[in-house]
Amino acid sequence: MRAIFLAAIAVTLVVTVGLGAVIFLPIGQKVQPNNLSGDVNRGAYLARASGCIACHTDFAKNGNPLAGGVKFATSFGDLYSPNITTNKEYGIGNWSIENFDMAVRQGISPEGEAYYPAFTYEFYRNFTDQDIADLWAAFQTVAAVSNPSKDHEMPFPFNQRWGLKLWRVAFLTNPKTQSDPNKSEVWNRGRLLAEGATHCAACHTPRNLAGARKTKDRHFNGNESLPGGGKAPAIDINSLKKNNWTIENLAYALETGITPNGDSFGDSMGKHVLYSTSFLTPKDQIAIATYLLEEN
Amino acid sequence: MNIKTITIGAIIAATLSSVAFTHEGATGIVKERMDTMSIMGKNIKLLVPMMQGKSTYDAEVVKAAALEIKSHSGETMTKLFPKMEMDMPTNISKAKPAIWQEWEKFSALSDQLYLYTDGLVLAAENGLNNNAPAQDNTSMMGSSSALMGGTINAIPTLDELSAMSADSVFKLVSNACSSCHTQFRTD
Repeated sequence: MRAIFLAAIAVTLVVTVGLGAVIFLPIGQKVQPNNLSGDVNRGAYLARASGCIACHTDFAKNGNPLAGGVKFATSFGDLYSPNITTNKEYGIGNWSIENFDMAVRQGISPEGEAYYPAFTYEFYRNFTDQDIADLWAAFQTVAAVSNPSKDHEMPFPFNQRWGLKLWRVAFLTNPKTQSDPNKSEVWNRGRLLAEGATHCAACHTPRNLAGARKTKDRHFNGNESLPGGGKAPAIDINSLKKNNWTIENLAYALETGITPNGDSFGDSMGKHVLYSTSFLTPKDQIAIATYLLEEN
Repeated sequence: MNIKTITIGAIIAATLSSVAFTHEGATGIVKERMDTMSIMGKNIKLLVPMMQGKSTYDAEVVKAAALEIKSHSGETMTKLFPKMEMDMPTNISKAKPAIWQEWEKFSALSDQLYLYTDGLVLAAENGLNNNAPAQDNTSMMGSSSALMGGTINAIPTLDELSAMSADSVFKLVSNACSSCHTQFRTD
């Protein structure tokens, strides 16, 4: 009897310590100081490409730029994009560039908490130090808005952010943005954008039960259940070709939203084009289309 | 049950049956507006290569296409979205309930399409703006404040539109399509 009692205590201890370790274990890599001079225009362009403005501005309610409030009704609960204006109380006005770096490239808040992967930091992990300096410079130009961020509405257990630490161990991967020396400069530029900043796979790759992308074998195969109930079609090369997409008409669609049959995108892709890809240069629109459609 | 109630009931029933769905696709008003959208899409498709300078520019064709889209926009379009559809099943219709919840915004976009296509009719003779500077420098896509979301472009007047190049006005037309689909269509 005593042995059982001791064993029970031991198990409880191990579980408690283990859980405590997970809850209190710091995550992420230490951020190196970034003293690079940032280019505001380049940063603003990257912010557009990366969807910062698209997801952190409540266009439907004529919200202020980057003041947040956009709802993401995920299958785990409702998330709201936060205010990331320069407001010191409600935005990121009190952040350092190192805090910003940690948030963007590692998905970790200044308090050391993991962000939900609805924030597409996974795609920004290969951003360079210069990219971060440029983005940071651009964010300093944003007018402060004194709207508090709306609290997420995540039911238990998904409101336990420490659970995301386990998620990160299991699912966090680096985006495949690296250059391929056997490919053209245009293709490589397209890869850098599509796999990184413009994060096509966030919507166009199906996710598993834990909300992680099925990157290994279903990359770009489409997603039937986007937050809010929408669907994203497959954008692997075969699917695109089957649906009459060419490098030329896809680049045009990224610019204008007009599809090959004269229709125009709606819902989340419409939003992505209106607030993100239409701001890209024609060269970059062609680069993304080339990466997605060029035969090997 | 008085005669008025019965009449209203009959009208509702008749309307419901007119928007009943077949196994294949939409009927009634849903079909009517799908057909309308498809006519507009065909005209857009016709104009795209012309506006890109990839097919021969023909001002008369541009005018005719713009007129046709115009004839289906504004109130003509919004009338195809009767308010009662809010309670209808939407497994075939791609219309979001937001159309009826934010009717003013929706009709403003339809009016914008009317204005821009009206402008395109007038701007057709201006041809394309082939001398526009190529926007291929990453730092030159407008000011950083516009990129960061700080600038909201005012809607040009018909006079202003008539002085613009046809492709610039066409961009506004396509933007009206996208803006409306983005807010009010499910895909």
